[in-house]
Amino acid sequence: MQTRMHFIEELARLNHDVLSMGARVEEDLRKAMEAMKTQNLELAAEVKADDELVNALQLKIDDQAAILIATQQPVARDLRELVTVLKVTDNLERAGDHAVHLAKAVKRFTGEPPFRQFEALERMAQTGCTMIRGAVAAYLNHDAEEARRIAALDESIDHEHKALVKEVLELMKDRPEQIERAVKLLTTSGFLERLGDHMTNICEAVVFMVEGKHVELND
Amino acid sequence: MKDASAKFDIAGLDLWYGQTQALKKVSMQVGANSITALIGPSGCGKSTFLRVLDRMNDLIDGVRTEGKVLYDGQDIFNGMDVIELRKKIGMVFQKPNPFPMSVFDNVAYGPRVHGTKDRRELEEIVERSLVNAALFDEVKDRLHKSALGLSGGQQQRLCIARVLAVEPDVLLMDEPTSALDPISTAKIENLLEELKRRYTIVIVTHNMQQAGRVSDWTGFFLSGELLEYAPTKDIFFNPRDPRTENYISGRFG
Repeated sequence: MQTRMHFIEELARLNHDVLSMGARVEEDLRKAMEAMKTQNLELAAEVKADDELVNALQLKIDDQAAILIATQQPVARDLRELVTVLKVTDNLERAGDHAVHLAKAVKRFTGEPPFRQFEALERMAQTGCTMIRGAVAAYLNHDAEEARRIAALDESIDHEHKALVKEVLELMKDRPEQIERAVKLLTTSGFLERLGDHMTNICEAVVFMVEGKHVELND
Repeated sequence: MKDASAKFDIAGLDLWYGQTQALKKVSMQVGANSITALIGPSGCGKSTFLRVLDRMNDLIDGVRTEGKVLYDGQDIFNGMDVIELRKKIGMVFQKPNPFPMSVFDNVAYGPRVHGTKDRRELEEIVERSLVNAALFDEVKDRLHKSALGLSGGQQQRLCIARVLAVEPDVLLMDEPTSALDPISTAKIENLLEELKRRYTIVIVTHNMQQAGRVSDWTGFFLSGELLEYAPTKDIFFNPRDPRTENYISGRFG
């Protein structure tokens, strides 16, 4: 006889919302990059509108988690899962904000000639999407190994970011008239770099959930 | 809750034991196919209230009630046959109280009293009731042995099966797990979740956590008053009355 069916069902419902939230943030990041690539302001506006839904999902999930803690008295792994879900939503919400920042930047790049560093940003965003999907999957599957593997991807984002900073600094020295444009590039790259950090936070929380110990991934 | 299809609709219920007023102007609706938990400190009136619903208080001298209690729209104090009422509304008590007879005869007792004599029909009722009380698999090989040999948790599920055998509509439970260990408690709680699909359940519990776990609606009684009645998630996450908050968070008195 399966016990605590009510709790298990409610938790499954909650985690379904987490899956939706992750998928939406991933989609927003993808859309933001596409908007930047094609200078599509309409698509950029969609990302901003979508973010409202992401924020609403976070509140819904957080309230539901609090209600489950209040009414179901989870302990041990169940409790760690609900503590973890609050970190998952918090970091997904921040990642969603970074997608919005990228979408807002589209306007600032409008009308400018294409820049070759864009490819680096695109690669970072691609890795960001993989990290969002992987971090959420690691949470849903209670998979600490997957969490570690996904967190390791952050290194490639950091690497791209550092290389881009170096390159852009050189550009600023050689062509001071490009400084404004260069700063916009650095800011955009910074958003993606932080997005990777937020996904790493989720992965750390997943390791805590599964193994009950706090770890620092990607020092 | 405000619902015309409520299983119970209680309005302005007062109850006195002699000079002592035990319930004060209690008004609430109990939804069908839901679990309603009644919580509150000892002597708050929650068990008294539960016993109003199947008129068990009729058996106590000096009890006087005022106000209305409608069951499926019918006034239980006016024009309703109390035997019929109690057939529809089963009660499970704190301490498992199997009769000193076999498992089978315990469950068959009610249907026999109500006139079922056919052996095969009784067998069907007994099996169905035990299955629905999540006990059948554990007792199917000892149906004709004494019920007193069962564990406490099994005895309590037997008492639930005994109630189910007369095909009630409502289950009233007064502290049904307070005498049981955590595993038996979990089994009963799980069973409640199954049973609410077919029955309306009202449960009195001292165990607030249990109210949180199993119920859809929770009523908090204090000194005979129903202080707060709301969806359980609201009571436990964001109660309106500070006295409810103090009680459920253990800061009471």
